[in-house]
Formats: sequence, C-alpha cells, structure tokens
Amino acid sequence: MPSSSRPISGQDRAIRAAIVDELRRRLPRMEGAGATARPLPFGLAALDRHLPQGGLTLGALHEVAPLAHGDTPAAFGFLVALLARLAGPAHRARPVLLVSSPRALADHGRPHGHGLQALALDPARLILVETRNETQALWAVEEAVRSAVPAAVASAIGKLDLKISQRLQLAAGEAGLPLVVLRPAQASEASAAATRWRIGAAEAARDRFGLMVGTRWTVRLERCRNGRTGEWLVELDHATHRFSLAAPLADPALSRRPGADAARRRAG
Amino acid sequence: MLAADVAGTPRVAAANAAAEADGIEIGEALADARAKSESLQVRAANPTADDAALRRLALWATRYTPTVAPWDETSGADGLFLDVAGAAHLFGGEAALISDLEQRLARFGLPAQLAVAETAGAAWALAHFRPATILAAGAERAALAPLPIEALRLSAETRRTMRQLGFRRIGTLLDKPRAPFVARFRRELLLRLDQMMGRAAEPLAFIQPPPVYHSLRYLLEPVGAQDAIVAIVSRLMQDIVHALTRDGVGARGLRLALYRVDGDVKNLDIGLTQATRSVPLVARLIALRLERATRTLDAGFGFEAIGLAVTAVERLEPGQGELIDGFEEAGADAWLDERCAALIDGLRQRLDPHCVRRLAPVASHLPERAETALAVADGPLPWPMPDAARPRPLLLFARAEPAEVMAQVPEGPPRRFRWRGVLHGVAKAQGPERIAAEWWRDGAHAPTRDYYLVEDEAGRRFWLYREGLYARETAAPRWFVHGLFA
Repeated sequence: MPSSSRPISGQDRAIRAAIVDELRRRLPRMEGAGATARPLPFGLAALDRHLPQGGLTLGALHEVAPLAHGDTPAAFGFLVALLARLAGPAHRARPVLLVSSPRALADHGRPHGHGLQALALDPARLILVETRNETQALWAVEEAVRSAVPAAVASAIGKLDLKISQRLQLAAGEAGLPLVVLRPAQASEASAAATRWRIGAAEAARDRFGLMVGTRWTVRLERCRNGRTGEWLVELDHATHRFSLAAPLADPALSRRPGADAARRRAG
Repeated sequence: MLAADVAGTPRVAAANAAAEADGIEIGEALADARAKSESLQVRAANPTADDAALRRLALWATRYTPTVAPWDETSGADGLFLDVAGAAHLFGGEAALISDLEQRLARFGLPAQLAVAETAGAAWALAHFRPATILAAGAERAALAPLPIEALRLSAETRRTMRQLGFRRIGTLLDKPRAPFVARFRRELLLRLDQMMGRAAEPLAFIQPPPVYHSLRYLLEPVGAQDAIVAIVSRLMQDIVHALTRDGVGARGLRLALYRVDGDVKNLDIGLTQATRSVPLVARLIALRLERATRTLDAGFGFEAIGLAVTAVERLEPGQGELIDGFEEAGADAWLDERCAALIDGLRQRLDPHCVRRLAPVASHLPERAETALAVADGPLPWPMPDAARPRPLLLFARAEPAEVMAQVPEGPPRRFRWRGVLHGVAKAQGPERIAAEWWRDGAHAPTRDYYLVEDEAGRRFWLYREGLYARETAAPRWFVHGLFA
C-alpha cells in the first residue's frame, strides 16, 4: 500500500496510535474469548501493563516453557505459582488438575506435595492425572476443561501444534477456566495460546542469614496476544505467597534494552 | 477317554459315549479299559482346564440368573447350580427355561442333564437320576424316595458302607431313627439328607457376589457396536433407577456383563466416586470404559444379551441430582461435588483407575515416605503447615540419584558436584538438615542423611544429601541428588 512506504508524519502517528488502541480494545470481544471472563492481575504494575486488560485472561490457554532443559524445574515452579494464583483461594471446593504424560516430567522427578506448599498451591486441592501417552493426556486435558469443574487445569505436554492449541484455547475460552501448559525448552512453534512465558532460574532471595525466603525467576513474556512482550525478574515470597519484582530489574530502564524493544516492535 | 493318576495307577477319569458303549466304566484301571476296547484313545485329564471351562460356563449361565454356583469337589465339580427363583417367569416358566438352556448347551455341543427342584440337593439328585424333572414344592419325599443312595452326594467311603449295610434307596433312610446314623456316620449322611429335603440350609458359593439390583436384556439380533451397547445400558439403567429411587440409594459400583453369541462372557466393573442414580452419567461412564476396553473386548459375532448389575450401593438423599439452582450455597456445593465426581469417574474409566490420584501427607521425616498417592475416591486429607526452616523440593526423585561431590571438609557442604555428567559449581549452600533413618523400619545401622539446599552458579537449586555421618557411620560418605527446587 502507498501509505506504508511514506514516512509517518506526527498527525498520522497520533491517528494510528488511536486506531491501534481501539483495535486492542475490540479484538478480545471479536475473538469471543476473554470478553466474559475478567482478567486476573498479577499485582505487579510493571507486568500487568503488558497484559491485555491489565491481567491474565482466565478463560485461556497459557504456555510456560523453560529457557533451557535444565530450567524445567524452575518453569514448573512458575507454573505451580501461576496455577495457585489463577485457581485462587475463593473456589475452595474446586480442585486443581495436573495432567501429565509419562515422559513430560520424568527427567525431573515427581511433584512433591510438601514442595508445592512453598509455592502457594495447597496439595490437598491437587488431583494428579498420569496418562500413558500424549493422546490420552490431551483427551484428559480437554475433558477436564470442558467439564468446567476444576478451578484451573495444568498439563505437561510435549507435542502441541497449532491445531491442538486452537482446540484447547477454544475449550478454555468456552469453559472460562485457565489452562496452563508446560512446554519443553525447544518449543517455539506457532500456537493459539494467549501467553507464552519463558522461564529461567535465578538466584534465590535470601535473608541476612543466607536462608532461602523466596524463589526468583527470570520471566520473559515471549508472546502475548493483544499485549506486549517484556522481561522481568519476578520473586515469589514463600511466607506471604506474593509476587514482587526483584530489586535489580525493577528499574524500568532495564526493560528498555535493545532486545526487549525489538520484541515489542514485533508484537506491535 | 481321559485318564488320570489315582494313587499311582492310571485310571479312567472320563469317557465319551463310544467308550461307554464298549463297557468302559469311570474309575477302572486303564489297563482293564484297554483290554475291553482295542481302539481306545487315551488323553491325560486336565482338572485345571476343566475348572476353567466350568467357570466360563458358569459366567455364561449368569444370563439366566445372576446367582450361579459351580459345583464344588464334593458335588462332583462337573455341573452348575442356578438359583432361578424370581428369574424363571422371564422365560415363560421353569419348563421353558430349562428347555431353552438345554437347546443352547446343545448348540455348544454340551449334552446336559437338567432338573428343577426346591433345594440344591434335590435338584442334584434329579439331574443325575431323573433328568428333565421339574419338581413342585412339597413333592420331594415322593419323588426322591425311589432314588438310589448315590443321589445323596456322599463320599465314596460312606456310599460303600451304606451299600454294605443294605441301604439301596433313599426311601429306606427317610423313616429310620436318626440317632444311630449320627453315631455311625457323623454329620455327612444326615446333613446331605436334610439338605435334600430342605431341612438344612446349603450354602452355595456363587461365581459372583449376587448383585443388589440387576437388569438384563436379551437381544433378538446380536449387537457389537459400542453406541448400541451404550443405548441398551441406558435402558437397563432406567429400569434399575426405579428400584434405586424406591429404596433411597444410589449406585457406587456397577458391573456390565456382555454375553457373546458363542457363550463367552465379558464382565466390566465400574467404580464410582459418588453414589448416583443418573442414567446419562452411567451411560457416559460405560461409553468411556468401553473405549478403554476396545483392544481387549472382542465382540466376535456380537453380544446376544447384556446385563447391568449394581454391585455396591450407598444412601442417596432423594432429589439431590435434580438441584439446579446454583444460587443457594448448599445446593451449589452439592452440584459442584456431583460434577466433580462425574469428571473424576470419567477420567478413571477412560484412562485407568490408578491414573487419577491425589497426594496425601504421611507422618514421616524421610522425604520419600512423607507423602503417598491415594486413589482419588478417598477424598482430600488436610496437609500440615510447611516449616520454613525445612525447605522441601518441588520435584522429588522416586530414587535418589548418585552424585560425585567435592567438599572442602568431609562433613562440610559441597563445593562442586557432578550429576548426570554435568559439573555444577556451588554458589550457595544451605544446611545441613539432618534426617535420621527410621531405625524401627530400616534397622539400627541405616545411615543418617545430611541434606543441603544447593544453588549452582546458574541459579538452579538442587537438594543433595550425604549418606552416613563421616567417621561415625562410614569412612566414605556417598552423595545423592534427591530433588529439585523451582
């Protein structure tokens, strides 16, 4: 088109910004998902600004992937923390389902109830579903989501192509409940998920005696539909179960690194 | 002809019609039998296979009535008792039932001797000596008196003694005073006599525990398709629901019996997390269960009868399933519980009951014993508050993995460690947390463990332990990685 090749003047830029803002507001409604479910804010202003409508969409598919294979426990920990936040304490009676296929977490052991507690998830609410293969795992996930019974569903799935992710996203949107999926490190294929979080391990928060008081992750919001990407150092306090931005990266200047800028431009 | 070893001598265990025509008797020595008939074909008897075949036949016979008992050793182990009380009218009376049974058995190539009587003992006697008799209640004495003593199901020894004493007919025993028999034969003789006349109860070991509620449908055309089976199950469940509602109970366990045309029976058991009377739920669970069973379930030429039995019930307040207004607190909770149970049952039927579990805490200091995975049906158990001073990993290995560790001093924290071929430099180490072995389970010499929460230079956190106290328990402590932190 001729307009795209012309340099953008100041007035054009303002009009364009207004149009993009309007589109951002309308898109979720047009897609059907997220229009009914209100989003759940992280409680971190710097992070919530990047998410559509200032929070995580409840009725949607979210992906969590580690930076490298060795970061899988960190990514799983972030998933558990996210799950606990999405499930919330309000729906006490509703369980949280974790569906895993045999090879998904096998390298890294099994979820340990006493360890889940530190990340704010009450193990009494958790129902573990271990399937024999990927097909069964996908079936179980969809079954659980469509039933709309659990407060949230999590799953460790190796294979997730565009078609399957669209199917799961649709199911989550219809049921209005969050579905969080743990992906392997090499996962980079296109997907219909609302967000993809890339998680890396980071030095833990310690008190003055050197004891661990909080888990920290380098959190990269790699893809975010109707939102912007970004990177933060997020901390979860083990006692209060609250997210906070760890001091070193809380400075907004740091999120304006060249890499982050490029990513944002891609998303825009 | 079949032969079996009895006290070191091969003897005739069973003979077919042709062998019997040659005068071969069951129980005679094989050498005698060979002398009687030149063209005798001998095979070894296989009692295990006989038992299995009888069991299969008993399962098949549950298409007539759910209460079927294969005969035990004392009854000859070569037949079945069917308790047809309340079932005969479905076939148009007892006579119609046994003729139907005889025809079907004949189709399998099984010649059968059938009889109907009020007691198991009388039926056994008639089946052996007056086949195809249907004895009315109260007519036992007249009908059974002319039968020989053998009709009493006695041991060979008692039978021989009776013969020697000159008793040949049951009738001669019936009028005799009981006391001398008690002294001479202990319990057996009079017990069998009483059981036959209905004066003593005879316990039968049914092949399946008799269900509380049961519904069965015979099909004019055999079916094999899954949705056809599910449709029939829905109708069967509708029949059962009336009885369940009347008694104020719901089903907790179900058994689906599929009777194949060739006489094979497939039983599928289904356990439910919550009592239910819902027809759609049962139909769905059956559909999921059939989907899982498709590989093992061979419909052959189709199923000619389908039965649904409720094997376990639980009290269920009326109307609970019909609560839909989710605004009342109690109603919403019950509704959610029901939906939750339905989801869990669905997953269990389609995947495997062991696949759906819940974690439960166990009072143990050893991390691998501190929790267990329970069947989800048991309901959640409250977890103790976590202890901030004792951090626990997010992921625990079922079996701790050995690691090579370099430490500055043998009882100090690790400085570097190699695990799965990768060398990690330790940036921070927290610990040790000392966990003693459970001497009451592992013995007095089980090593103590010192756990360290270790963070490597990349920020990844590991849970390492040193097994054995240096110099006190062992000279060369070994190291293991037991878990991973987020």
